[in-house]
Amino acid sequence: MLEKQLTGHRVDRSICAWFWEQVISQGDSFKVQCEQHPSRCHSILCSMEDNRPEKHTNNEVYVDLVEEMDAIINSDGALVKCEIHGEVQVNSHLSGLPDLTLSFANPSILNDVRFHPCVRFRPWESHQILSFVPPDGQFKLMSYRVKKLKSTPIYVKPQVTSDSGICRISVMVGIRNDPGKTIDSITVQFQLPPCVLSADLTSNHGAVNILANKTCSWSIGRIPKDKAPSMSGTLTLETGLERLRVFPTFQVGFKVMGVALSGLQIDKLDLKNLPNRPYKGFRALTRAGEFDVRS
Amino acid sequence: MGLERHCWVQTESPLKYEKKCCPLSPDFGGDFIRPLLNSSSPFIRFTSSKPISSLFTGDRFLSASIEYNDGSSSSISPLSFSFAFSTLRSSVESNDGIWNSRSDPDFDNSHPKPNSTRKGEVSDLKMQLRQLAGSRAPGTDDSKRELFKKVISYMTIGIDVSSVFSEMVMCSATSDIVLKKMCYLYVGNHAKYNPDLALLTINFLQKDCKDEDPMIRGLALRSLCSLRVANLVEYLVGPLGLGLKDGNSYVRTVATVGVLKLYHISSATCVDADFPTMLKHLMLSDPDTQVVANCLSALQEIWSLEASKSEEASREKEALLSKPVVYYFLNRIKEFSEWAQCLVLELVAKYVPSDSNEIFDVMNLLEDRLQHANGAVVLATIKLFLQLTLSMTDVHQQVYERIKAPLLTLVSSGSPEQSYAVLSHLHLLVTRAPMLFSSDYKHFYCQYNEPFYVKKLKLEMLTALASESNTYEIVTELCEYAANVDIPIARESIRAVGKIALQQYDVNAIVDRLLQFLEMEKDYVTAETLVLVKDLLRKYPQWSHDCIAVVGNISSKNVQEPKAKAALIWMLGEYAQDMQDAPYVLESLIDNWEDEYSAEVRLHLLTAVMKCFLRRPPETQKALGDALAAGIADFHQDVHDRALFYYRLLQYNVSVAERVVNPPKQAVSVFADPQNSEIKDRIFDEFNSLSVVYQKPSYMFTDKEHRGPFVFSEELGNLSIGVESASNVVSTQMLEANDNDLLLSTSEKEESRGASSNGSAYNAPSTDGSSNQLLATHSPQPSMAIDDLLGLGLPVAPNPAPSPPPLKLNARAVLDPSTFQQKWRQLPISVSQEYSMNPQGVAALTTPQSLLQHMQGNYIQCIASGGQAPNFKFFFFAQKAEESSTFLVECVINSASCMAQLKIKADDQSTSQAFAALFQSALSTFGMT
Repeated sequence: MLEKQLTGHRVDRSICAWFWEQVISQGDSFKVQCEQHPSRCHSILCSMEDNRPEKHTNNEVYVDLVEEMDAIINSDGALVKCEIHGEVQVNSHLSGLPDLTLSFANPSILNDVRFHPCVRFRPWESHQILSFVPPDGQFKLMSYRVKKLKSTPIYVKPQVTSDSGICRISVMVGIRNDPGKTIDSITVQFQLPPCVLSADLTSNHGAVNILANKTCSWSIGRIPKDKAPSMSGTLTLETGLERLRVFPTFQVGFKVMGVALSGLQIDKLDLKNLPNRPYKGFRALTRAGEFDVRS
Repeated sequence: MGLERHCWVQTESPLKYEKKCCPLSPDFGGDFIRPLLNSSSPFIRFTSSKPISSLFTGDRFLSASIEYNDGSSSSISPLSFSFAFSTLRSSVESNDGIWNSRSDPDFDNSHPKPNSTRKGEVSDLKMQLRQLAGSRAPGTDDSKRELFKKVISYMTIGIDVSSVFSEMVMCSATSDIVLKKMCYLYVGNHAKYNPDLALLTINFLQKDCKDEDPMIRGLALRSLCSLRVANLVEYLVGPLGLGLKDGNSYVRTVATVGVLKLYHISSATCVDADFPTMLKHLMLSDPDTQVVANCLSALQEIWSLEASKSEEASREKEALLSKPVVYYFLNRIKEFSEWAQCLVLELVAKYVPSDSNEIFDVMNLLEDRLQHANGAVVLATIKLFLQLTLSMTDVHQQVYERIKAPLLTLVSSGSPEQSYAVLSHLHLLVTRAPMLFSSDYKHFYCQYNEPFYVKKLKLEMLTALASESNTYEIVTELCEYAANVDIPIARESIRAVGKIALQQYDVNAIVDRLLQFLEMEKDYVTAETLVLVKDLLRKYPQWSHDCIAVVGNISSKNVQEPKAKAALIWMLGEYAQDMQDAPYVLESLIDNWEDEYSAEVRLHLLTAVMKCFLRRPPETQKALGDALAAGIADFHQDVHDRALFYYRLLQYNVSVAERVVNPPKQAVSVFADPQNSEIKDRIFDEFNSLSVVYQKPSYMFTDKEHRGPFVFSEELGNLSIGVESASNVVSTQMLEANDNDLLLSTSEKEESRGASSNGSAYNAPSTDGSSNQLLATHSPQPSMAIDDLLGLGLPVAPNPAPSPPPLKLNARAVLDPSTFQQKWRQLPISVSQEYSMNPQGVAALTTPQSLLQHMQGNYIQCIASGGQAPNFKFFFFAQKAEESSTFLVECVINSASCMAQLKIKADDQSTSQAFAALFQSALSTFGMT
């Protein structure tokens, strides 16, 4: 049957050799999966129909802004690219058929937006208002992109010098642009170049670990008030190698609770068509996505 | 920009369209299309979709294909994307060894093992099942469930459980739905291989098809259709007919797909039972959109397969693309599920709107689809927008502007596989309109964690969109990657820098950067750079001084890769005059002749030492003697021949040898693009399909039986489809042309031959340099109207078109080969004439492709072409602009006698003379600039 489908899709067998191997090696399990799936969908469908309109004892709706910051910082500290991908996640437990309107204080900063099918397009087009009847439970109301941001909350300054068979590394981390909330779970990771024999790295704050796959991971956590965290040490190169020619890229992780770093702010959330006043909760969170610092 | 509503309108001036950003009044969009936005309908709720990343997963794909598209689909649908992802792995794997899927433990465990102990277990199961079969004791269902689960899990891991077939059937008499589902699953899997036993199941399946519970009715019908046993077809017709009329939408959904399954088992039964007509009725009237979508996909498939057999089916197939049907779907599109929306968008993409107002209506209606959470919907919409506006230059340009943001978002959100697929599409668009993205280049900077295949494509993007304004930044960024830990990426980025250098006029800074690479003292960096410096010197000989100074410092011992070594040797020979120690370096290389394993390097060594000898005879004489001796004794045929050739040439006349080996060279102006524009256009036509990901048109990678055009071309004898020959024939013909071009560029030719015999990548430049010049003298290619229509900001040079023709042709005529064939058979010849071509036209006809492009510029499309000088044969077609009246042409050209024989057939006989005149005038401008 699978074969039938595949030929039906007009894909040359040689091209999807990988897929075929998978199919052959997994045998019938593949078929089982696909046979079951549609009916599973159907039962979900039925349950959805049955459950509407929903009755909830606790009438509540939560709106979360979750953002990820992607950035590239050059070896001279210049911000090459900085962009935020964000999502508006809604968790709704509301009875009946509620009609919600969510508006932002500054929708103009959004570069590109995509919506959950429940969002009505016209209010957004005319007034940048999200008008929707939420499905029950957790869902992604909207995703957006904000580009060309000017700064990052923290700085990471690596210095790498290399001569006579060793390589000295020092990395400093600090707050560049205080977002007003604590920056948490700061980590700095980098891949040791393959020609490195051994590494001796210490830090004045947080733990430095060298993992099995030659990844060096420095977990800082929060930045202390009294000192700037730094890590330094030396890498010993393979014998015969005078100096390191390729320098590692540092990948930075962090998390800021309570702030959407893109600057996007929720103005208000109106609820209509509800029997009683529900509880409304708002949260924001920004974390590092692909945050690369080159050395 | 993303926040503004783009409203596609036609402005007062009839010639100019512009895009306005304005809030829409609710009834915008004309009378026919009234957007439905009924978000309180339960349907919209349950599509509360998955995260984007999950949309492209294989599991999703499989489910989609089963439910909506079971059997096969008629086109390369967006669904095939997920395929791309599963197959991408394999292609990248083989190239770079990045993944090692073999290390996956599941992989090894899941192989079916012939296991003797299992045999006992299966017969055990059989016993237990038999005991339970008749039992009505409480708790029986639970134990049955356990047993069924076991059977299914054995089946899953590949153990043969067909022996319990009859017991399974006996146990199926139950009201428990879970048990039923498992039983259906089992039966569906085994019936095909046990047609006799399958008969046993018919009874209970038929009974279940009349069950009270719609769920059971649906499941039973689905299983019944999935048996796929030809001699049970008679039992299918009844339940299917009832299913199509069922009150429950789930049952109807299943039944519509069931009709398609039946069609594939026995097309005659399906058509005789009049199911297609019933489907059509359902499609246009059913309240449930899933039923409608399934009807559409089933009908598309059935009618396109039937179309070659019956007139009526092909009419029905065309009716699917008629205005009322298309508008019906458009008006309901928001109710459809994501995949069904893709289906509808595909359908609309084939529809040819009558005027620009209609185009704007459609675009305004679908504008919001660009903000859909599902990437497939977004891509399908983009395809539609691009296709609709092909003939409207300004609007097409605006479409590019509009789709930029959604595409870039798709690239950076979601899985790397999705990024790759979308990047491939962006790459295609960038090659068509490079200026458009020239300010967004930062989006294509590589992040550290991205997989190799994404990075590589991003490098290609950066190369493609480099323009004067951003070259500096892009090259700076690429230089960062050259020092990357990842060696393949470092190599790719150096190549990218080189490519940018070759396409830019101002190369100062880039040459400096390249030379800095040479100082990095990394062997792979040096190797890649040498190859590039060689190409650069061939294009910009004026840089030789700076380059030679740096290259001269490189010790040939540090260069090991054949390509790089060959490049270095080429430079040593070419610039023997300027490099002090060239003869001595060559001599030491010749001393190590025996150790040189690459024939390519040895060939280059021979040529270089010849060149060096002709410039500095006293110093090189000994080396030349050694090289010729070693070359003649070489086991490699090409090396041997070349050495012998040089030897005899020198023996014959040294000054002739000089002219052969060291002719005055012109700088190469353009290195040939490996893909010609026709192929690129084909790929563009297949936007939103695997063609874009593979970067080749679908006929190059699809199965033979699914290739419509090829069946056709085989029937027509030795004709081949124009494009296919384009890829292979062109290059060989260029080589041949080269061969004919005797002494002019022999050394170049030899280099290329050496390279091709070696199968290495060092081939394109040397051939194309000469052949390009060759082509340039013979046939300045007419600029293609299609390209102009895209509005790439180029001055739109109207083709030397015939003086205002009374007959207007459709610029986007489409006709599939089977229809062509059918029409060709049916229609009488309305015009048959001979026509003598002008000599320029004949001269330009070096390959069939040149004519194809020219005719395409005149809105006359080629469907098949072939032949070799002096006889060429073409089949063209064209459509009238306003109506779907088609002209078919058979054109035989003899380039020796300059005669063209035309046979024209037309739907509308009255206009065939006008068309013949048009065709001739188009033909007469061929070869003129």
